[in-house]
Parts: sequence; C-alpha cells; structure tokens
Amino acid sequence: MELNDGEEEEFGFSRNYFLAKDLAASGKKSTHKLSDINLVDEQELRAAASNIEPKHEKEIVSLIDSYKSLYSRWVFMLRCGFGLLMYGFGSKKALLEDFASTALTEYSVVVINGYLQSINIKQVVITLAEVLWNQCKSKRKTPSRNLPRAQQPFNSRSMDDLFAFLDGSELKENDYFVCVVIHNIDGPGLRDSETQQHLGRIASCSHIRMIASIDHVNAPLLWDKKMVHTQFNWHWYHVPTFAPYKVEGMFFPLILAHGSSAQTAKTAAIVLQSLTPNAQSVFKILAEYQLSHPDEEGMPIDTLYATSRERFLVSSQVTLNSHLTEFKDHELVKTRRHSDGQDCFYIPLASEALEKLLSEINQ
Amino acid sequence: MMAPSAAAADSSPPSSSETTENHLQPFFVLHEASSRKPERTSTGTVKTRKKIDFSPSKLKNVEKPDVEIAKEGGDEGYGNLRMDAFEVVWSKIESTIKDVLRDINANVFNEIHQWVRDSFSTIRSFGMLTFREATQAFPIVTDASSKQLFTGLVLTKNMEFVDDLLTFEELGRHLKSQGCHVANLSSLDFMAKSGIGGCLRSLLRQFLVAPLDAADISILASWYREQGNYNNPVVVIVDDIERCCGSVLSDFILMFSEWVLKIPVILIMGVTTTLDAPRNILLSNVLQCLCPCMFTLGTPSERMDAIIEAVLVRQCSGFSISHKVAVFMRNYFVRQDGTITSFIRALKIACSQHFSMEPLSIILKGFFLEEDRQGLQDGLLLQAMFKHAFDLPSYGRNKMGEENVESFAHCLSELKRSQTRWRTVVLCLYEAGKGHRIQLLDLLCEALNPALYSSRTSGTCTKVDKGHGVSPSNNFPVQQHPIMRKGRLICQAVQKVRDLPIAQLYKLLKRWEELTVDINEIHAKLKELLYVIKLENGRSSRQDMADSSKRPVSRSQLNIEKESRAVNEKAASLIECMVRDHMQPVECSPLHEIVCFKNVETLQLALIGDPRRRIQIDLLESYKILRCSCCSRSGHSLLPSLHDTSILYNLAQEHGDHINLHDWYQSFKSKVCSSRSKGKHKSKQSPLPKKRKDMNEPDKPCEASIQARFCKAVTELQITGLIRMPTKRRPDFVQRVAFGL
Repeated sequence: MELNDGEEEEFGFSRNYFLAKDLAASGKKSTHKLSDINLVDEQELRAAASNIEPKHEKEIVSLIDSYKSLYSRWVFMLRCGFGLLMYGFGSKKALLEDFASTALTEYSVVVINGYLQSINIKQVVITLAEVLWNQCKSKRKTPSRNLPRAQQPFNSRSMDDLFAFLDGSELKENDYFVCVVIHNIDGPGLRDSETQQHLGRIASCSHIRMIASIDHVNAPLLWDKKMVHTQFNWHWYHVPTFAPYKVEGMFFPLILAHGSSAQTAKTAAIVLQSLTPNAQSVFKILAEYQLSHPDEEGMPIDTLYATSRERFLVSSQVTLNSHLTEFKDHELVKTRRHSDGQDCFYIPLASEALEKLLSEINQ
Repeated sequence: MMAPSAAAADSSPPSSSETTENHLQPFFVLHEASSRKPERTSTGTVKTRKKIDFSPSKLKNVEKPDVEIAKEGGDEGYGNLRMDAFEVVWSKIESTIKDVLRDINANVFNEIHQWVRDSFSTIRSFGMLTFREATQAFPIVTDASSKQLFTGLVLTKNMEFVDDLLTFEELGRHLKSQGCHVANLSSLDFMAKSGIGGCLRSLLRQFLVAPLDAADISILASWYREQGNYNNPVVVIVDDIERCCGSVLSDFILMFSEWVLKIPVILIMGVTTTLDAPRNILLSNVLQCLCPCMFTLGTPSERMDAIIEAVLVRQCSGFSISHKVAVFMRNYFVRQDGTITSFIRALKIACSQHFSMEPLSIILKGFFLEEDRQGLQDGLLLQAMFKHAFDLPSYGRNKMGEENVESFAHCLSELKRSQTRWRTVVLCLYEAGKGHRIQLLDLLCEALNPALYSSRTSGTCTKVDKGHGVSPSNNFPVQQHPIMRKGRLICQAVQKVRDLPIAQLYKLLKRWEELTVDINEIHAKLKELLYVIKLENGRSSRQDMADSSKRPVSRSQLNIEKESRAVNEKAASLIECMVRDHMQPVECSPLHEIVCFKNVETLQLALIGDPRRRIQIDLLESYKILRCSCCSRSGHSLLPSLHDTSILYNLAQEHGDHINLHDWYQSFKSKVCSSRSKGKHKSKQSPLPKKRKDMNEPDKPCEASIQARFCKAVTELQITGLIRMPTKRRPDFVQRVAFGL
C-alpha cells in the first residue's frame, strides 16, 4: 500500500519532468527578449528594491512569534545532543539570533554567516576554542587545579589539536558547550566538501552544539550518511518565516539590472580611486578617446603610449604596461584585435556609463 | 564584487550600525555564556525562562496548563528534571545497545586478536634486531618473506560503512585492552591531497600523543624502540579501504612493509563489498606485500534483531514506542536508510521528544529503573502531575474511578505488570519463529498493534488481567482472532510450534520456561506441559533426543507421531492463549502515555527533513502558513496580495523547463497590478499586459517598484535553488530545477 504510494510519487516526478519538457518543446518557445521590458534605470531599481513595501508584515511577525513557544523544546533537543537544522521558506537569520540571544544565554554563542563568500574555517575553530576556554575558566570553581598545563596559544595549534580540545575529555561536565549558529550552512562560503567535512567535525565535538539554517532545496546533498548520522546529528525543524532574504540576497545581482552597466561603472570608479593619479589619468585618456571615437574598436597601444608620454604620465612602455595590467586585472579594460591587425584597448562600458564614470573620478 | 554589495547593505534600512556590521562579518561571537554568579544568573535565567515558558500557554490554551504550575511551583528546573530523566533513560538504552553489539562482535574480535598475536610472533621469529640495527634511522630488510605485512580483511557485509565505524572503534578498544598499540585511521586520512604525510601524521598523533610537525616514520620507529613497547604489536585499523585513495594506501603499505621488522605493523582493513576490493584499488606489487587473512562480521539483520530485543522488547529502560511509531521506524529502516546507526538515531529522537513533550515522562526515571524518586518528593509538583495524569485520554477512556494517589499508583503498577507479560509473550513468539526468517522488528510491529488486540476485547481491555484464569478451551475458537489471521507473523510463529519435531519442541518449551519465570500462571502451565511430555512421551522423547537417527523400529511409529502431535497442539494452544490473554499492547493500558512515545508525525518531521518538497509547498501554499485573511479566500486563482515570491513561483509552474524572463515578468506584473488598477482605475484596465504597459507609461515609480519586486522574488527563488540563472548561451531564460513536489 505504502509502497505503491512511493512508486506513485516517483512516477509523478518523472511525469512532471517530461510534461515540463514537452511544454517547452511543443509550445513555440517564446522569443521575447529581456530587453523588450521597459527596464528602469538601475539606480532607480536599486532604490525601489530597498523600499519594497512588505506584504503580510503582521502575519509574518505573528508567525515568527509563534516559534518562540518552541524555544524551550529546541534547547531541550540541543541539550540532548542533537544539532538543530532549520529549513523552510524565508530568512531565518533573525529567528535564529533571537533564539540564541534569549534562550541560550547560559551558553556562549558564535554566529557564522554562511551566506558570505569566503569564510576561514580555521579562524572559526580557533575562536570556538577560545570561547570554550573562557567559558571553562569562568565556570570552574577551583580554577587552578584541573586546568591543563599552560598551552600554546590556540591560533598556532593545528586543526587536529583544536578539534581534540573541543572534543576534550579535559572538561568533564556534560552539559557544557558552545553553541554555533550557522546561517546558511549551504551558503556559498561553506558549500565545498572540505569545509563541510570540517563543519561535520566541529559538530561532532562533545562541547559543541550546532544550530544551522538551510535555504537551498538540495542542501542535504552536501552530506553523506556518516556526516548526517554521526556528526551533525540533525533534528530537522520546518520553520518557514517568509521574512525577506535581505542580507542573504545582498550578493545576488538583480536580474533586471540591465547589462549591469551602472554596477560595473560603480565598481570601476571604486577601483580607479584606489589607483595612482597617473594611472587614473591614463585611464581617462583611454575613456576620452573611446567617447570621441565611438565607432572604432578601441585605442591602439601606440597611440595610447604616445599620448600618455606627451602628458608626462608614463616614462616608458614598461610603466604603461604595468598600468594596463592593473586595468585588465580589474576588468576595467579589455583588448581586441583591430581590423588592421593591431592590438587595441577599450573599456567595456556603454558611453553613458563611461561619461558617468569620468564625471565621478573627476570630482 | 564586494563593492556593490556593500552599497546595497548601506541602502538597506540599518537596524543599528553594530548589527549591520555583524551581517558582514564571516563570523562573530554573539555572546559569551553568562557567568553563573548567583545573583546574576538567577535573575537572568528566570527572566528568560518565564519568557519562554509562558508564551506557549498564552498562545495555545490547550497546552496543559498544569505543567506551568509545576514549573512555577517546583524547583527551578522542571525542565532539568526531564533532562535528567532523559539522560538516565537514554544512557541506559545506549549502554545496552553497546553491550549488545559488543556481544555480537565478541567472537570475531577474539578471533582477530588471536590472529594478531600469531602474526606478531611470526614477525618476531624473523629474528631480533641488534642494538645497532635497531637504532639506525632506516629500515632493514633481510629477505623477501620478512617484507610481508600481515593484513586482516574484515568483511562488514554492509553497503553502508556508517554502522561499521562504531565496530572498528570497538575493535580498536578491544585490542588496546589486550595490550596492542592501536591506531584507527579513516579514509579521510588517505586522501590524495594530503598524501602519505597525512596518514603518517595521524598515526604519530595517535601513538605519540604529543603533537609533532614532522611526519617521519623513523620517529615512529624510535618511539616503538624506546617506550618499552617492544613486546606488543602495532595494529593499524583502516575502516573502509574502498573509500581510500588507492595510491596513498599503496605507498603506505609499501613503506610499512620495508619497516616491518622495526615496527611490527599489522593492518586491519574493513571491506564493504567483496574480497576483490583490495585487488581493485591496489597494484599487484603492493598486493604481494600483503599476507591476508579474512574475518566476517555479523549481518545487519542479526544486529538489528539483537538491538530490538534488548531495547524495545526487553525494555531495558521502560521507554517504549507505539505501534505507529514502530511501523514508521521499520519502514524508515527498510526503505529509507537501512543502517542501524540511523535506526538508533531515530530511537534517540523519539526518546528525547517523549521527554520534551510528555510532562509525566519524568516518572520513567524513578519508576521503571527503580532508582531514587527524589524528583517526586515535591508536593506541589506531585499534585500537578496527578492532575495531569488523570487528564490523560487513556485514563479517562478506561474510567478508572477515583482520582487519587492510590489509583494512580495502582494504574502504574498494572501498566508495569502488563508490560512484563507482553514482553514475555513476544519473546516466546520470537523464540518460536527463530530460524524461520521471522524478523523481530516485524513481529514487534504486529505485537504492538492495538487494533488487533482491542478488536477482540473491545470491552475487556480495561480489566487487564482478570480474565486469564479461564482455560483457553472455554473461549471462542482461536482461529477467529484477528491477530491469528493467516499471513500474520504471530500466526506463522504459532504454526511453527505446531510443526516442530518433538525434540525441538522440548527445547523451545524449556526456553519458554526460562522466559516466563516471572508469570506464575503461564509458568505453571508450561511446567505442566513439560511434565506431560515427560510422562506420556517420556521414553520416546528421550530417545528422540538421544539419537534421532537410531529410532527403535519396534515401537509403533504411528503412535509416537500421534502423541507428539497432541503435544504440539497443546503447546500451540498455550502460546495462542498467551497471545490472547497476556499480550496486551502498551497502548491499551491506562496511563501508557507516560512510558510510550506515540507522536509519529513529529518524529517523522524531525528525522526526515524534506526541504525540496517542503519549501515548494511553502511557496505554493503560502497563505496556509501565513494564515492571512486576504489570500486564502480564493481557491486556486492567484491573488495579488500573495507573497511576491509565492506569486512568481506559482507562475513558474505554467512554464516548461525554461522560463522566458520577459513573459514571466509580464505575467507577474499583470498579476500584481490587477488589484492596484482595480482600486484606482478599473475601467482603464486592459487584460493584455502589453497594452497596459503603454498606458501606464507615466506611472513610472510603479514600474520601478514592480521590477524591483520581481528582481527580489527571483533572487529569493535563486537562494532556494528552485531556479537557475540565465546563462551566456540563453540570456533571456532562467531554468526550472524542480518539477512537481
């Protein structure tokens, strides 16, 4: 009976997939372009994006509030040795931090923002060890006796030593742990398998409890059975909040930001401002040339060199090349082959964006 | 890349500069543990506790208000009481499981240990080293045979190696206790990335304890020489060779085969598939260095049966599970995961949920483990508990009469008694079915089924043990019991009893006699039956047992058969009677809520998170979760008041595997605008989005905000992984990822 249900479900899966494929194949594929939409200016879009009028604010607040009644159970589960894994649509950042700061006051809490691009896991482990160390020191009644001998500082120890400390048998008490809150354990900064292995080892330490959130539907694929059953030991909680992914979505480009020109102009300005005045001026020469010769492929390197030398911006081809390398590294400038075979440089920005950029760096 | 994001962060309404800062920190310390100085903690914790504990009662009035009284009146940690109870109960279960597994593995472990000793003496027999030889920092090789590395291949018979992690840990501990130097390496130590240095370092860490930077095998050699370790072998256990990097493992083996005279290493490797595994991952010259020996662990189902018997049938802790939970856990084991580790995990979740949800669960600790009952001394707490107990549905259903302490205590002891009986009968059935492919887990599910039991007794359920004085023959025919229906395991087990040859039946009855020692009535009947066998079939049965091959032909064969058949029939009807009268599932007893975990839904939710399905349902039916008044009105049509992402995902369902962004946006826009225009200029509204776009041209800010909302919704879908962003090749399409729930 139940087996049939399972089969049915699986069948439904494949059927849906092929239906969708079919739909794409049979119905003439829409040829509309994104550019057919009357896209508003990017800045306006960004301004609007930051002022979106929230829907169902009241309901969301009461939904999140309703989870407060579960806090004591969550703590209980943590103390039983499980890791809490929160999922469901909506940002769970505020929820988790509220939980941590109201219900976990007895324990130290370290928060990891997994939605960020890069996270140094070793630093995290060092911090955890330090926090745990402080916690022991402050809680121990007879401070000197049982403490292990003076140790080398945590930041010069190896990962294995740190894990051994966190798993430590040195600290006898059972109910004695540091909580790690991980927003988006499936986030870009934590997604690779090595980091997940490290997180698994952190979670399996006896003095660590983990509270994590996932947002990606395929997040469980990050873990094998060993990690799931013996390390993370997840207790799943479905806690949709429908709260906007404000911080988590910060690093995603807006899909309707057209050609992302304004965005790159802004980045370009920031990069340029960090360069030397001479380098900026070389860039300006290139930009002015491009604006005055809109139809050409770009500025030949000889011309650029000559003009820069005239204005005493560079003394040799070598200096110019170093500037150009810098530009290229930041994707401010690209090369392409001129029709007569010569390499020439151009700035990959639209004229308006370029003008804006010029006015910005001229300020 | 960081620049635009920083800008975006600035533009978002800053709650406070500090928190915004924290959003962009890769990690930070939210707070350190509040120190437990008396005055500070008491205020601190009480505050939070109130906050936590009282909100639920306000939100849902149904949630047992007495518990709150208990919390307030009792000592500061009612929660702590439950926690303690959980810890006691679970540690009992856990240690029981460990013992069971250790017993199962004991034979293999001893075998392995013997082999290790033999191998070690073989290595020794190659000759002792001179002092000079021993202190040199390079290996010595005398002849080819001394380069052999003794290798034990342990067949785990398990596709999933999780279950074996514990086994190998135990093996390590066992060998250590016998004086060997043991290091456990996992496949993670044999990764191509860290190379041979990785596993050496791990070995040094485990043997030398003190951390070392240099990974050099000569350090290991000098450690072995110096520490007076000379009389014991060095055992290296690798839990799963199939997950190791072949080249690293090869290097490892080659290296140690050179050093084997100085460091008598004996390898033990776990193999999950077949004996071909080493041949598949190692080169032939490496294989030549190995001198293999094979061991086999017990099968998962053997282990499973043993665990079930110890934990759920014998109930080492008093904690039990309901029929539904048992069925769920069986299905989870059989279909979903198949590892004992996950089964134990499920059991632990069930157990902890029981203690977190059932206020009276704390009784388990004292009552069933027969330990001190300190927790119950508190008068107020006790009262609140009784109040709660008498409100339990099973108590009310059975109309137990007066609500006082005595009846409560009586109920509890009845519960305990009926549990003992139930356990005995199940074990008897299991004994009968042993060797006939009747798995204890399946049997358990059937034995726990209250429907099978109460459909027969409907009214008598309450009078638990009053009726068993009646002899079974006076009852209605056995075959009519639902529990005895054909195809059921219990029925099969009983049938097995009927078919047993007399010698085995005798053994079985003897076994039953041991099992039923606590239940006088059954025990007496069994004694009687055994006596009858002895008396009536005395000679023949004894002869049968003595040597079944040399049956005396002189006696009438037929007669014996007839008589033994009669005995079989008696035994069968005895077990039937036991099933009928004594195998009362826990759910039929009053107050069973105290010991029995029933909430299969929460267990399932906690155990199997299904984000793929759930997140989609969240989006498709957001109004059900938000419970707003505005969106739930219409059945299937999308209302503009829905959550934006929800609208967008609903719209995405209408597309194929690729979604044209333009079309998607237009339909989103028309959906979102439909109410706006309804309110303002209804007459102007045109069903075609294209046209309206032209009309609404002056309405620019609206356009911008719609586009912004669209962007935000797309980003949120991207975060959930439900769509994939446009590629260079198809810049105007996003790709759908999930089809159907």
